Amino acid sequence: MLQMAITGIICGALLGFVMQRGRFCLTGGFRDMYIAKDNRIFYALLIAIAIQAVGVYALIGFGVFDYAATPFSLWATVIGAYVFGIGIIFAGGCATGTWYRAGEGLIGSWIALAFYMLVAAIMKSGPLGQFTTTARSNTIGTDSMADTLGINVWWLIGLLVVIVAIIVFCELKKPRVKIPGLKPKKTGIAHVLFEKRWHPFVTASLIGLIAIIAWPLSAATGRVFGLGVTTPSANILQYLVSGNLDFINWGVFLVLGIFLGSFFGAKMSGEFRLRTPDTKTVVRSGAGGVLMGFGASLAGGCSIGNGLVMTAMMSWSGWIALIFMILGVWTASYFVFVRPAKQKMAARAQSSANA
Amino acid sequence: MKKTLEVLGMVCPFPLIEAKDAMQQLQLGDELEVQFDCTQGTESLPRWAAEAGHEVTNYEQLGEASWTITIKKNA
Repeated sequence: MLQMAITGIICGALLGFVMQRGRFCLTGGFRDMYIAKDNRIFYALLIAIAIQAVGVYALIGFGVFDYAATPFSLWATVIGAYVFGIGIIFAGGCATGTWYRAGEGLIGSWIALAFYMLVAAIMKSGPLGQFTTTARSNTIGTDSMADTLGINVWWLIGLLVVIVAIIVFCELKKPRVKIPGLKPKKTGIAHVLFEKRWHPFVTASLIGLIAIIAWPLSAATGRVFGLGVTTPSANILQYLVSGNLDFINWGVFLVLGIFLGSFFGAKMSGEFRLRTPDTKTVVRSGAGGVLMGFGASLAGGCSIGNGLVMTAMMSWSGWIALIFMILGVWTASYFVFVRPAKQKMAARAQSSANA
Repeated sequence: MKKTLEVLGMVCPFPLIEAKDAMQQLQLGDELEVQFDCTQGTESLPRWAAEAGHEVTNYEQLGEASWTITIKKNA
């Protein structure tokens, strides 16, 4: 238990710190692919996936732990991921994003988190538990892409690494606009850790490395998986209301670590303050949390569990969830950002035409 | 002319959306000051200004999670 608590919290704290300082937001990244035609964060995610894939399959190759693919719940993954994508736009952050923004002191994220945990617990061991089990029991074949294709998984990893290398090369070759920054008030290591802007690709590489070390650390405590947010978030609530210690696992300490690491990063950088949202944001955050909890439980993972980890494991569920999550984000973005902006423009054109 | 936009309490990406909208209504050479407390805005606002060809004339942190940026319309 002590080992679980220590390694889980340290791993989570590293992740929370890196995400907070690196401003790593998958929701924003997926959204900007559509509303700003900007793919940088998506590319950064691919970097993190590729690094993790190489590291984790190397560890498996060296026999550090075993990993076996489960059957693939196609429809639950498709629908769950799509609903999750809609939810993270309303909540203003994905599951991990919500944990780390909670650490920055955003009350809106606390509300999203509470509803997310609640609905995930309802979907796992509550009244909707049977529904989740039934929906996910509808499977088609193996979840392993390599097994389906009848090839060695390293071919897929190699392909991903090549694609990512080409993308990084092209992105770094692009002429860079100088982004004005704040005047530095710190120097040396304090400046790098608590002030400097981090390039998203650097942040993503660090996240890829953290995702690798998560596997052996978690496996050592009996939980053979990497980073995960949804199940552990639900586990916290399940433990709190049942007192059953079986709900406590490495992942629980991981998510608590994300909160602590982000709080530390924000506090040290002068970016922590309790911030209360307006009524509209409260309602939106709560609704987002509900959709996130429902979607992630149905899909068997959130943007980290499916989007970062199962993708690196070269599983169908990971990549298909990633695609539908992004489509969900785009759908919600249209209604939350694009359409209101268009309506405002039209109204303005109308009023100036009348004037 | 200088216009002040206060987007305190708004979370990403709304500070940026509001700033873009306000900028559209300004004339060339006008300045827009945005006061914000969304951490992600420290990245998205100056990036947008630079990429859109505007000039950042002032950018500072006022206190814990509180910033101001002034952008001059150049494009």
